Amino acid sequence: MPNISPTSASWRRAESRLVAWFTAQGRRPAPFQRAAWRHWAAGEDGLIHAPTGTGKTLAAAGGPLIHGALHPATGLQLLWITPLRSLATDTTQHLGAAVDAMGLPWRVLRRTGDSGSGERARLRRGACELLVTTPESLALLLSYPDAAERFANLQGIVVDEWHELIGNKRGTLLSLGLARLRRYRPEARVWGLSATLGNLDEALAALTPRGVLVGASSPKKTVIETALPDVGEHFPWAGHLGLRQLPRVLDTLMKARSSLVFANTRSQAELWHEALASVWPDDPSTLALHHGSIDPKLRFATEEALREGRLRCVVATSSLDLGVDFSSVEQVIQIGSPKSVARLLQRAGRSGHQPGAPSRILCVPTHLLELADIAATRDALRQGHLEPRHPRKGCLDVLAQHLTTLAVGGGFDADEAYVEITTAWPYASLPRERFDATLRFLVTGSSALAAYPEYRKLVLHDGRYVVSSPRVVRMHRLSIGTITSDGSLQVRYLKGARLGSVEESFIARLRPGDRFLFAGRNLELVRVRDMTAYVRATNSRRGGVPRWQGGRLPLSGELSDHLRHVLATPTATSPEMKRLAPLLAIQRKQSAVPNEGETLCELIRTREGEYLFLYPFAGHLAHEGMAALLAYRMSRIHPADYGYAVNDYGLTITAATLPPLDASTMRTLLHPYRLATDIVTSINLMELSRRQFREIARVAGLVFNGYPAHSKTLRQLQASSGLLYDVLRRHDPDHPLLWQADREVLELHLEIRRLRRVLVRMARSAIAWKEPPRLTPLSFPLWVERLRSGISADDWTSRVERMRASLEAKADT
Amino acid sequence: MKTQDVMVAGVRLVAHAQRALYRPDTGTLLVADVHLGKGGVFRRAGIAVPSGDSDTDIERLDTLIRELSPRRLVILGDLAHGEATDRSGWVDAFRSWRHRHGDTDMLLVEGNHDRHFDARTLDLATMPEPVMEPPFVLSHHPEPDPRGYVLSGHVHPGVVVRDGWRKHRLPAFVFGPSLGMLPAFGSMTGLRIMAPSEGQALIAVTPAGLIRLG
Repeated sequence: MPNISPTSASWRRAESRLVAWFTAQGRRPAPFQRAAWRHWAAGEDGLIHAPTGTGKTLAAAGGPLIHGALHPATGLQLLWITPLRSLATDTTQHLGAAVDAMGLPWRVLRRTGDSGSGERARLRRGACELLVTTPESLALLLSYPDAAERFANLQGIVVDEWHELIGNKRGTLLSLGLARLRRYRPEARVWGLSATLGNLDEALAALTPRGVLVGASSPKKTVIETALPDVGEHFPWAGHLGLRQLPRVLDTLMKARSSLVFANTRSQAELWHEALASVWPDDPSTLALHHGSIDPKLRFATEEALREGRLRCVVATSSLDLGVDFSSVEQVIQIGSPKSVARLLQRAGRSGHQPGAPSRILCVPTHLLELADIAATRDALRQGHLEPRHPRKGCLDVLAQHLTTLAVGGGFDADEAYVEITTAWPYASLPRERFDATLRFLVTGSSALAAYPEYRKLVLHDGRYVVSSPRVVRMHRLSIGTITSDGSLQVRYLKGARLGSVEESFIARLRPGDRFLFAGRNLELVRVRDMTAYVRATNSRRGGVPRWQGGRLPLSGELSDHLRHVLATPTATSPEMKRLAPLLAIQRKQSAVPNEGETLCELIRTREGEYLFLYPFAGHLAHEGMAALLAYRMSRIHPADYGYAVNDYGLTITAATLPPLDASTMRTLLHPYRLATDIVTSINLMELSRRQFREIARVAGLVFNGYPAHSKTLRQLQASSGLLYDVLRRHDPDHPLLWQADREVLELHLEIRRLRRVLVRMARSAIAWKEPPRLTPLSFPLWVERLRSGISADDWTSRVERMRASLEAKADT
Repeated sequence: MKTQDVMVAGVRLVAHAQRALYRPDTGTLLVADVHLGKGGVFRRAGIAVPSGDSDTDIERLDTLIRELSPRRLVILGDLAHGEATDRSGWVDAFRSWRHRHGDTDMLLVEGNHDRHFDARTLDLATMPEPVMEPPFVLSHHPEPDPRGYVLSGHVHPGVVVRDGWRKHRLPAFVFGPSLGMLPAFGSMTGLRIMAPSEGQALIAVTPAGLIRLG
């Protein structure tokens, strides 16, 4: 069907109906909205970028609505993909209202993991024109053989909050789904909605091979304020929690009707919620906690209460970063360093929904040096330096899942599938061998040519790969998606209500009767059974707070550049840097404050041993890689046990005696030459990669867990990913999923690309070598970090000797 | 150290680094949770787990019997992980191994997984739990029993041992005041980490021998 041109009279008539609806609500379409509608009418693809609350939804929906009015049709017309289930409800209502306003006879339906059976059944019968769904539910739809038919009339696809998906495996899965939809329906348009990113061109390319960028012209103003400690006030040099600032935060909270308090980790959110609750002067039900490990039902209830204006304060983590429009929120508070400019901008955008009003955010430093982070963030924002989010390239676990989906949904030809998959941006440069290795793993079970005995998953039938076992089909549909829950235990009351999940390692340290803080409640462990920790409420806490791995984002590269700049500028005028000046004066007197083209190294001898400190300001992940590299290279000069610790500013390496060091030795030790080889030998790659394998095994369908209704029948099939990892390492070391795990460790866990860039930068910089008599303001926070990693040349025999010796020593005291 | 002596209920028992427990005064070798054929059960469900672990485990049993020459072998449940099929290679391997040791008595104390597989076809005697063997009660499930000290399996106990900045997750023997648990014998088995408590002896199993913890 030919598109009606946006310059034609009939198109303008349909558009005016939409404009009239805007006017009826006292609004006017923004220029970027009208531009997006016209691009849609011209059959183009694109990406709409604008801050939250500026009308991106209607910018994207307008085109298809006008088109729908001009070309009446039944069957699925528009597919709307959203990253969050809770967003799906909002979006469905919002789009439903717009559809009504246009007088379209469209049925609007929502299909997510928690859709009711009625909704699902209606959808199975194909009865809707507009479908709101998640990337996982789209994958599920593609796993039914009638998928081609269902999408036969599709006019377009809109991906909401694309910035939340682009950098993770959910985005990768979606890219593969889009490639499949493009094959079913080449003329369907693909549009994305995104917050502002540092790499909008790449974000667009990752969505569609051809398209336009459409942006709101006037960016919203953001004001960053700081809870400054008083000059006379003793404020710590190190620390993560920042509870010292409680009175200041409470004061601020009491001045507004409704606030969001963002913490950087889930444990920090739990502790801040607890602290606020203990001094909360208002009705206790007006204070709530929200983070990703709390049960979805409880989280949803909190979101509802916030929307209805029944809450005065919600303490949250990035779980509330995106989506739902909380227009009642008056102010936003950030505890600790924001770590990323884009994230701060997004968090600030949760407040100030009145048109023209600036977004405000109050930053609360947890220790003195974080003042510099805040000043650097403001600097970066002023210059418009936002972080990019890069798509994850070539993930073989997601590929394995998608190939199984294709096999379940009617089968595929290997050559055709390879061509289709390489049209998806993340797989554009996937070598055919790697595709074949992944396919071989699905067919034979192993990377080798010989099939595993008794294995069956994909089978070749008339030249097409299909799945013949109904059980494999069922298990695959149950496990579609990329969100992992391996290694976590459900927490629920004895009476049955679920509270959320915590990591197994935390519960393993507790015994029945022990208490802990979780989901904002004081709990007592009663028993652990079937991957569930049963608890009862208590009124006091003596125990700890769960910690979750991988919660801590590193300082971003953009922020790192600005941070080095603000520290090196002695004449800073910002209130944060003025307050920090006395501390920097101490640092300068005892050692030095590094200039931009300089790398500061400090060697400090203490009674416990010698410490080398180094400050690249490159984020804790890259520092971890650098510390491992340095320790390894030192151990080659002088074999010994080296321990190390890192934070976002720098790293420390310690040993009873370090090898003789000076500026020129440091230059050699830090040289980027042979980085790739040395890093693989230096870190305990196996241990890290074993941990990384959790998610990979789950995504690729190697691990099944946690289906409440099926737990009995599937119990026999439960194995921990760690166990599978060990078995694969032993019997099938060339397995494509092991390759994937190693690669993810290097790229995500150690940020090897960033590490290389930083090493190159340092190789060009001057080394400032200092040997201060005592700990300096910069070294102190590193010194108090517990040593968590290290390098030592040993095997199991020497480990056993060491552990025995240490146990005996303990027994003697 | 490959072995470690423990006094349990007044009897000297020997914990072995191959995750087995030997009682010298009666010449009884105990193992628990062998989970033969576990990989096959996974593979039949479309989960690609390499093969070979059942063969390794049968070889390990063989080595233990050659080394200790026990009069009898008692398996504390979960010998097989699930049903076997015609293509389950471990069944023949186990049967021929059984025949090579025809003069060793072998008894299976039946566990939860054993209902899927009839061990009598392997020429093993089978008994429902618990089996009295004073002063011990041999059972699969670790249920306290007034009639004696319980030696059991089922749990797959493990411990986390700190080693400087590292932590190791290791299988372990656990001996409490009235109940003892063996580590799982099978190579393809997981761990449940146990918190150490008063009056309990823990022996961690490392690839280089045993470590006694408290």
